[in-house]
Amino acid sequence: MHLTAEEEKVYNGERGWAYQTAMKILVKLGDLFDAEKLIPIESAHVSGISYKTLGDAPIEFLEALAKTGAKAKVASTVNPSGLDYEGIMRSAVPETVKEKQEKIVELYKKMGIKPVLTCTPYYVSKPKQGSHLAWAESSAVVYANSVLGSWTNREGGPSALASALIGKTPNYGLHKPENHEPSVRVKVETGLKSEAEYGALGIFLGKNLVDKVPVIEGLRYPREADLKQLGAALASSGMTSVFYPCSRCPKKAENLEKLAVDELTLKKAFEDLSTCSEEPDMVFVGCPHCSLNEVRHVARLVQGRKVKENVMFWVCVSRHVKAKAALHVQAIEAAGGKVVSDLCAVVTWLRELGVDTLMTNSAKTAFYSPTMNKVNVRFATLKQCIETACYK
Amino acid sequence: MDLELKGRPLVSGVKRGIALVSKKPLSFLGGVDPETGLVTEKNHDLMGKSIKDAVLCFPHGHGSTVGSYVLYSLAKKNLGPKAIVNGTADPVVVVGAVIADVPMVDKIDVSQIRTGDTVEVDGEKGTVKILERKKTCT
Repeated sequence: MHLTAEEEKVYNGERGWAYQTAMKILVKLGDLFDAEKLIPIESAHVSGISYKTLGDAPIEFLEALAKTGAKAKVASTVNPSGLDYEGIMRSAVPETVKEKQEKIVELYKKMGIKPVLTCTPYYVSKPKQGSHLAWAESSAVVYANSVLGSWTNREGGPSALASALIGKTPNYGLHKPENHEPSVRVKVETGLKSEAEYGALGIFLGKNLVDKVPVIEGLRYPREADLKQLGAALASSGMTSVFYPCSRCPKKAENLEKLAVDELTLKKAFEDLSTCSEEPDMVFVGCPHCSLNEVRHVARLVQGRKVKENVMFWVCVSRHVKAKAALHVQAIEAAGGKVVSDLCAVVTWLRELGVDTLMTNSAKTAFYSPTMNKVNVRFATLKQCIETACYK
Repeated sequence: MDLELKGRPLVSGVKRGIALVSKKPLSFLGGVDPETGLVTEKNHDLMGKSIKDAVLCFPHGHGSTVGSYVLYSLAKKNLGPKAIVNGTADPVVVVGAVIADVPMVDKIDVSQIRTGDTVEVDGEKGTVKILERKKTCT
């Protein structure tokens, strides 16, 4: 890989150990994937925050980096943690866990990485169309590439962190136009009616496409939230990082390999995401974190209703969106729900909260929670979720 | 015996040690205990083995990118491998080897190496030399 004179200096340690380590990570990845150079990025989004998923392993490394005074060179943000700032989770976990979680967040902050603690950094600051990014949250990666028209590979926690410190990323994969070309034509032969159906489609496609780039035709007027669910699910069950939604297939994709999805296939994919049919202890929406529109929608659906006493009803959003949604938050909380920020149900201690059965409209959560949280899952539409959470 | 396998250099450094060879991909997060260096991945052919000071040879990594930090953490506690040899390197293991400062080579047919072989990994040249092979009782 070709390095500029300045990059060479960083690589050789002239700017200190932290930047040298970050540069080494980027150069080695570049070598691995045959990148010819590093390119500047507009922003970095780092994963690897929740102490529940991380454990102690990264703390030493983050500490060593932060101690040197190294700072992010571009706008940088982090994923959700395992705790919320309002303390819903705090009584459920021991003091040491809280301390460790706070320390991790503090270390990122020290490196100039903004603790937005959300998987939807694009609601905090929308990247420019055509900008290059180094983002690690897979649902955000698909969203950026497919809906926002930005360019990012699916980074891991460490490589996104390295990119934050250097302000660059190796030029390979989805940073190159040729890798954005569709390679398969998916024909959806049934009308999708809810965000959950989009999610179920995503899980099915992820498993079947592996890392191919699909044109997905037959989607009529998908809302932004539908595409977000589709993308998050695609990235959960597969490696696809970009897709092209459309109502009719564009000419250039007409002759690609075809994959048809009929009503029965979709129904099965939807049903397969549930592991039980029991009454849930928790009903969770907001994976990925809700947009302002989605919070408004939930608020309308729960208006004048009451959440059952034995059910926790969680709506997860970033602090940023929550601050803008004050009235909707009031409506949801008046109904007995909780609007929770800084965390995500999947990366927090659900069992410690007493959750055995989780109901959600997120296919991504339904896909991960049985293994990551050891809970039973009921997968349903937002409307069904609210019907179940509230008294009749 | 003296057999030299030629691969691709990934992380520099020259280390000599005893090979620990697996036929299966390895996930460092959840697959290796960061407190003991023992492999804990279910149904893994190295299950229960210690990777400490081994020349760890396996086809490739899998699983969470947090796995890179596990390698760093192991190295800091002197529980990490001396060197890593992969069939096809993946980002998780490469980044882990970079931050843990463990010499690494890939594009090696790891089935040529046997557990117990004394090997020398050259992360500069991208070679793995098999220096000594214990006689097996056959």
